Amino acid sequence: MKNSQLYKGSLTTIVMKLLEENGRMYGYEITQKVKDITKGELKITEGALYPALHKLEAEGVLEVEVENVDNRLRKYYKLTEKGSAETINRLAELEDFIRNMQTLVQPKLDY
Amino acid sequence: MKLNAEQVERLYAFTRQHYVEYYDLQTELVDHLANAIEEQWQQNPKLSFEEALNIEFKKFGVFGFMEVVEKRQVALNKKYNKLVLNEMKVFFSVPKIIGTFSAIGIVFYLLKFFQEGLEIAQGLFGILIVVFIIGLAILSRRNKKNTRQTGKKWLLKEIIFGYSSLAGLINLPIQLALRLNGKHYSDSSLILFSLLLVLLCLTTYIVLVLIPSQAEKHLKETYPEYEFVN
Repeated sequence: MKNSQLYKGSLTTIVMKLLEENGRMYGYEITQKVKDITKGELKITEGALYPALHKLEAEGVLEVEVENVDNRLRKYYKLTEKGSAETINRLAELEDFIRNMQTLVQPKLDY
Repeated sequence: MKLNAEQVERLYAFTRQHYVEYYDLQTELVDHLANAIEEQWQQNPKLSFEEALNIEFKKFGVFGFMEVVEKRQVALNKKYNKLVLNEMKVFFSVPKIIGTFSAIGIVFYLLKFFQEGLEIAQGLFGILIVVFIIGLAILSRRNKKNTRQTGKKWLLKEIIFGYSSLAGLINLPIQLALRLNGKHYSDSSLILFSLLLVLLCLTTYIVLVLIPSQAEKHLKETYPEYEFVN
């Protein structure tokens, strides 16, 4: 992941936001989607994505569905009811964070 | 171009070679690798299957699948502990709480009555430890047999049948039993002993009997694919 330290803390929020928009998704689809949206600037590594998904699943934020696609089993993730509520909180938190960072990085000099 | 069944089998073998023992994780990684390989073929149709696989595996870094496996273990252990805790809560809610407190009371009076012979308390702890160890051994043997039959290992199943993080709890009664030294104990410490003994009995019952008996239900909840392949 590009400059991973900065993005690391937001990975779960990114995943939850994507699932909120797209309903259910599988692991590889999530990595591709992020790559597409950010035009290749942000690449989620496999080693980070799956642990994040499993953690959210264990916390009851995500649930899984399995389907047989092209000779293999595919695991889809989607938000639970609890997960949808949690997504709103996390997004608000992330927006606060972005706003605060902006004020810190570009302080207004005119007062 | 899509992967054929044989290539999918090769991917399962590949994850096994790279120390992913559990079928649930293998399945997810196989689908990931398969998607990535198919994507590569779209850009470069001449690439061989093995070449494409190597390129994809490198993306997982020097430790390969290890990190994914480790984190999955942590996540499922947490889930398991939550299961045990939820079952434990049942014993402290109406109507079972009456039974729980009576048990604590009975143990307390027994301990008080046999105050001089604290070997009894030690003996009780001892019995508990032995039961726990034997129970775990029986469970894990049963699971090993089952795994041999199906050829598939499931992480949560391994945790439920023996390889449980709660096995560390066994240390507690050992320490307690060793510290008892026949001197006169106050009522409050006897109550504490009784509470601990009953809690340990309950944990033993939940871990060794209750959760394994509902294992199928928990496994189906956690793994939708469980029914597909068993």
